[in-house]
Amino acid sequence: MFDAVARNITFLLGGFVVTLQLTFFALAGGIALGALVGLGRISKNKWIFQPVTLYVNFIRNMPLILVIFWFYFVMPIIAGRPLNPFLSAVISFIIFEATYFGEIFRAGYQSISKDLTSAAYSTGMTYIQTARYILIPVAFRRMLPSLITQSIVTFQDTSLAFVIGLQEFVRRTSIVDNLEVRSIQLFGFVAIIFFIFCFIASKISRHFEEKGRKLGMI
Amino acid sequence: MIEIKNVNKWFGEFQVLTDINETIERGQTVVICGPSGSGKSTLLRCINGLEPYQKGQILVDGVSLSDPKTNLYKLRENIGMVFQRFELYPHMTALQNITLAPMKVRKLSKDKARKKAMELLQRVGIPDKADSYPANLSGGQQQRVAIARSLAMEPKYMMFDEPTSALDPEMIKEVLDVMIDLAKEGMTMLCVTHEMGFAREVADEIIFMDFGKIVERGTYEGFFKNPKSERAKEFLKQIL
Repeated sequence: MFDAVARNITFLLGGFVVTLQLTFFALAGGIALGALVGLGRISKNKWIFQPVTLYVNFIRNMPLILVIFWFYFVMPIIAGRPLNPFLSAVISFIIFEATYFGEIFRAGYQSISKDLTSAAYSTGMTYIQTARYILIPVAFRRMLPSLITQSIVTFQDTSLAFVIGLQEFVRRTSIVDNLEVRSIQLFGFVAIIFFIFCFIASKISRHFEEKGRKLGMI
Repeated sequence: MIEIKNVNKWFGEFQVLTDINETIERGQTVVICGPSGSGKSTLLRCINGLEPYQKGQILVDGVSLSDPKTNLYKLRENIGMVFQRFELYPHMTALQNITLAPMKVRKLSKDKARKKAMELLQRVGIPDKADSYPANLSGGQQQRVAIARSLAMEPKYMMFDEPTSALDPEMIKEVLDVMIDLAKEGMTMLCVTHEMGFAREVADEIIFMDFGKIVERGTYEGFFKNPKSERAKEFLKQIL
């Protein structure tokens, strides 16, 4: 029943590898930039807060597909030469996902009470020690379920990169489909693969949420 | 000795502390009471260098807090603080909560820190809770762990910011008993509390604050039995 898939499995899995690579770079960049965006969003300095807030609000009110498109067509004008689709997609995803991760980080940072910090300070711990042993671990545990959930969304969203011709999983499947004309089978296969990955990740997220709740941290 | 000299503090336009003067000698227990928003907690936070003040001086053992050369981290090692909502580290067991600062700040070995922490848990009456997480402890137990955490740094001073006001009535006594023992052992203490029983037993001086000023001060008998100011009379009527 998966004959068309079997005939093209190497080509299809090659696309899935691209999807995984794109997800990896989008998450690494998006989370790193998001951590900074979160800091910017709680900054008391208006020269930091306002531009960061403008960026977050602007991007969060844009469809992702537009960001990918727009970046792909505008970059050659700025850079003077076309970017390859993979790099262009990675950068658009980082720009897009960082706003969502940024809001998760903002909430995480804000969930730390002033008194918890004061309690650590009053035992003589320095700012670095307090951040390292208390603030970051506590905030991270609180954020972990949301971070995983947003990572699942990012993973699913990577398929949108097909619009700029990137040969990721969905794009390659549609290429195969053009030859084989077995849409239900081929896209069914894609759906199953996405489902397995996302389902496992959502279970992991759930696990950390339960754990956090038991410790009274969420 | 803690000396507070003419301290004034503003949050923006709003003056939260006005001309605060107070001296706390070693071994003394001073109780601060007053309505909420009167600046009691802010005063404690200033003494611990957690909040800046704009005018006046606070000296801890002769060291000025507002002197930029003063190492506030070092100074805080000597001043323990207990909070209304306990503020235990939620991702650590009771024992880990207590051993963290001695290990990281005092560089005590893990074994020494654990031994000391167990002694302290014994002292506050919950050695069996060493491996429990804060979420699995009652409010009273959490507050006793918080006291043990402060004591682990062997501070010269202890400050309590309404340590029993977030507790169910039946748990208040277990925390107060620990505090009373501490005071009787000679710890220098500064307590924001409205617990009259505690004040009667151990307070050397009671300070009444309102709108950021010290309105009245006296002994237990003097303040609770014969308050002089109208504001204090009114306040006492409400809490008694």
